[in-house]
Amino acid sequence: MTRSIQAKLLCSVLLCVTLSAASQGVAETPAEKEFTSRQDEARRSFREGVTPFVKAYCAKCHGDKRRRAGLNYLAALKNPGETTSSKHWKQALANVKAHDMPPEDEDKQPSEEERQKFLDWIGTLKFLSPKDPGLFVIRRLNKAEYGNTLNELLGVDPNIAQDLPDEVLGAGYLNTLSPLQSEQYLAIANAALDKALPLDSDQPSEVEKRLFGDPPVAGSDLRAAAERVARSMGRLAYRRPVSPSEQDVLMKIYDLARASALSHRASLRLMLKAVLVSPQFLFITPSGDSKPDGNIIPLDDHQLASRLSYFLWSTMPDSELSALADQGKLRDSEVLRGQVERLLNDPRSRALFDGFGAQWLGLVDLKTKTFDTAKFPQMTQAMRSAMYDEARLFFGSIVRGNRSIVRFVDADYTYLNQTLATLYGLEMSVTGSEMRQVRMVNPNRGGILGMPGILATTSFPNRTSPVNRGVWVLENVLGEHVPPAPPNVPALEKQNPKTIENLTLRQRTELHVQNPVCANCHKFLDPIGFGLENFDAIGRWRDQDDTGGPIDSSGELPGGKRFSSPKELKAIIAARKDGLARNLTERLLAYALGRPITGYDEIVVDDLMKTIAADDYRMQTLVSAIVSSYPFMNRRVR
Amino acid sequence: MRKNLLIDRRTTLKGLGASLALPLLESMGWAEPGREKSYKPPVRLGFMYMPHGVIMDQFWPKSADSFLTEPPPALESLRPVLEHCLMMKGISGVPISPFNGAPHALELSTWLTAILPDADTRNRINIAISADQIAANYVGALTSLPSLELATMPQTHKENQEGLHEGYYSHCSFRSPTQALPAEINPRSALSRLFGKTDKSGELPKTDPLDRKMLDLVIGGARDLRRKLPRDDQHKLDEYLDSVRAVERRIAAIEHRQKEAALEKAGVSVSKRNAADSPPIEIKIPEGDRRSEYMQVMCDLNVLAFQTDTTRVSTYIGSTPNGVSYPELGFNDQHHSQTHHGNKDSEKIRKVAAITKFNIDQFAYMVKKMHSLKEGDGTLLDNCIMMWGSGLEDGNKHARENLPFIVAGKGGGSISSGRFLPDTKGNQGDLLTTLLACAGIPLDRPIGIATKQLPEIRG
Repeated sequence: MTRSIQAKLLCSVLLCVTLSAASQGVAETPAEKEFTSRQDEARRSFREGVTPFVKAYCAKCHGDKRRRAGLNYLAALKNPGETTSSKHWKQALANVKAHDMPPEDEDKQPSEEERQKFLDWIGTLKFLSPKDPGLFVIRRLNKAEYGNTLNELLGVDPNIAQDLPDEVLGAGYLNTLSPLQSEQYLAIANAALDKALPLDSDQPSEVEKRLFGDPPVAGSDLRAAAERVARSMGRLAYRRPVSPSEQDVLMKIYDLARASALSHRASLRLMLKAVLVSPQFLFITPSGDSKPDGNIIPLDDHQLASRLSYFLWSTMPDSELSALADQGKLRDSEVLRGQVERLLNDPRSRALFDGFGAQWLGLVDLKTKTFDTAKFPQMTQAMRSAMYDEARLFFGSIVRGNRSIVRFVDADYTYLNQTLATLYGLEMSVTGSEMRQVRMVNPNRGGILGMPGILATTSFPNRTSPVNRGVWVLENVLGEHVPPAPPNVPALEKQNPKTIENLTLRQRTELHVQNPVCANCHKFLDPIGFGLENFDAIGRWRDQDDTGGPIDSSGELPGGKRFSSPKELKAIIAARKDGLARNLTERLLAYALGRPITGYDEIVVDDLMKTIAADDYRMQTLVSAIVSSYPFMNRRVR
Repeated sequence: MRKNLLIDRRTTLKGLGASLALPLLESMGWAEPGREKSYKPPVRLGFMYMPHGVIMDQFWPKSADSFLTEPPPALESLRPVLEHCLMMKGISGVPISPFNGAPHALELSTWLTAILPDADTRNRINIAISADQIAANYVGALTSLPSLELATMPQTHKENQEGLHEGYYSHCSFRSPTQALPAEINPRSALSRLFGKTDKSGELPKTDPLDRKMLDLVIGGARDLRRKLPRDDQHKLDEYLDSVRAVERRIAAIEHRQKEAALEKAGVSVSKRNAADSPPIEIKIPEGDRRSEYMQVMCDLNVLAFQTDTTRVSTYIGSTPNGVSYPELGFNDQHHSQTHHGNKDSEKIRKVAAITKFNIDQFAYMVKKMHSLKEGDGTLLDNCIMMWGSGLEDGNKHARENLPFIVAGKGGGSISSGRFLPDTKGNQGDLLTTLLACAGIPLDRPIGIATKQLPEIRG
């Protein structure tokens, strides 16, 4: 596999901090020298390898004149290391590797050797990217973060935010609100205040005491008391110190309320409402006093604290994290690592599964996915919840136990309740509705490949899809890019009924390989899916498929590894530690940064891989390494 | 240009960015009929969308002559109001190359923009302001809500065909080339925020008179933060502050209305509505999860918003291209899964036809309701332009040669309805340009790929 070749090439390279030193004219360390020579090598191979390949095989359709699929490789050749170009190269890598490109009806075809060389060269292109932490634009809290933050601040149920529109999570989010929706922030603030600080009660609530302090004694200076509340409440809700002008605005609101004959208490409440609809609360904003001079600046301590707690908890920093930011200690690597461990071991890190894990494993839509209810009456909401919780608890066990990420594939335990145990045939030994850890005696189970929630979401409503499962394993587990099916391919249902009579699903799916257009990809995809055919469309074990024919779960992975059962497939995939780890690292880094991985990030990932491989691919080590990485700690502002 | 607005363009534009102290209803004619004889209710513009195209021989009328007497099966529920409907065949869609692999993202995102996303920045939202938002820019300041966006499913589909941003898959309204406008999918919160109403009796939503002044201070207070931020950050902040400004304005409008209602109730002033106009319709939020009821309550909200002049522009994504099923029709298949029927699979064809009819039935429900409501000398529908359509003609082949459209309403007399025009020559941009012109929206340039207006639509 190209992936492993790339990894070998790159593993020896040390990068991050070194470049800036070099650019400042400091004498080069050996690591820097190595990096510089990598760069030179990449430039040369680019000139000698990529350029002629692109001109010979790609530019006719993807050049300045014709830009099919919107791709112009001649433009990408001019600025090979730029972010926009790197998307081009990723696509080229996938398509050339799958023999999708150049198209088969083109006369000019590269030899296998040319093809492989081109792929190897693309792997070194990242060395041409300038050191860049990525553009970092202030962002609004997403729905989950907003609900959790209100919960943290006011003790209200996070579901109070449920009417806000859902965001598309991950690579890109929509940051626009219609006026009707922005009004929800005001409505939600009102509802949250009514819950947390009821006005009709003479006794201040616990939340009120926490935010407003003790009621002022008779005759004391109320406005001075309000000043103090504004400062502390602003610090808390804005997650950084308030500026004098922000303090001033909050006091204007207090004065407005007082002038309207509201009591001191009610006036503070209006001030709190203003805080809750302020952009300083809804956005994570820097506390710096002046516009930054350079393009790339380090995150200030408070921004770093927020970035960290929203990454791992999807909520605001707690008092310990905030105090460290106030003291300016957070950039100390030992302190930061300690905080990562503390945050991960806290129950709030469950948010990392809801925000990241569920998306990585493809379980986000499990609760709403359509199933053929006649065929699978088991797929009740209780079952779906249990499936989701199984994956959540399993993910949590690896995070909190600081286990190796290889355990995601080859663990020998899972989490079940009675409902879910019926799919495992374990309903006699696992009873009751509570989820608990259960050791798996059957080696086909345990790990994400044998997990019913995942087996169900990668199936059709009424049958399994070896193709979907194959794509899922390649993309979600091993991080390969699978090109989409060409347009206008018939679905299985459309096959001529005569030719497919008496064929099992596997045999029908194998018809792919007879069509050369399909075969390029499906010869890789399908066998992986066949390896999981013993699991039906909701994850139950079976020995026969729907046609009554015996399941044949043997196959071969790219690279010649053969398997004959889910157990053996698991073992092969678990052995590909590097691919597993790299995939998870890239995805988790993208989630942490809130943007797709491009250009220079690839070099960052190489570095992260080295760090975590040295510690047996442990999960907390991975998270710590991401948090202390260059793009997490810095930002480009223009 | 028809003069159906009693306020000039300059005043309107001035009102757009600024935060207005008091609602404009009073100064702008509509709320004060009777002052001059030529007074007319405003024209409202609504769009309702269905993905995946139609079964052509069940959708297109046989001929111009038989349109009223023998409507096609898909239009059966529109029979009582066919006199008020206009259909035209020959409206072509934007050619989607180089995005051939993303027909469904494109059928929706080009629907009201009539133009393709920018190919070089396809992984971000970068397309064009949509026709509904162009209209909202012009008439939006006259009402408490500039435009209304409704949908019946979360707009979170995650698919990046052809490298396109996910947002293209579930949005058709764009506030600017780079801002996709999300739609409201919860009828209860739409009801409360649009009309300050709840469907539970005895419960009155509060409007805090201090909220408006407080928001004003919050917006002013962000100025200092804004100054310190880099340019890209400032843009993000501005988007939010703009929307808060709109909230401020809406609160002012609701306050004004409540004051008016109180005065009327106390007998101090008389209603400014025409005495003969129908009273505002009641909204009942359905309890169950029947898709027809869900779609209909969104229709009701649209009707009420138009009837009360809360907005004059609406866009209703009846369903997005991904993942809707229609159990009420007796099958659980998702819409898209049935559309590649190869013109052979009669079972799938039957299901697609049923889904299409189901969607048109909901549109018919809405326009029939509008037709039943008196307004001025006629009905609410007379003063509306309600466009129903799909982004494909034929979901089987993703064909876009003759996009299916139904236009209901006479647009205040600007549209000649009750006709089928079988040989229209134009594209979806031409149609949108014409409909906006009929609604009295002045355009400084054609919409998307439009090159002309379609005079045959006009009365």
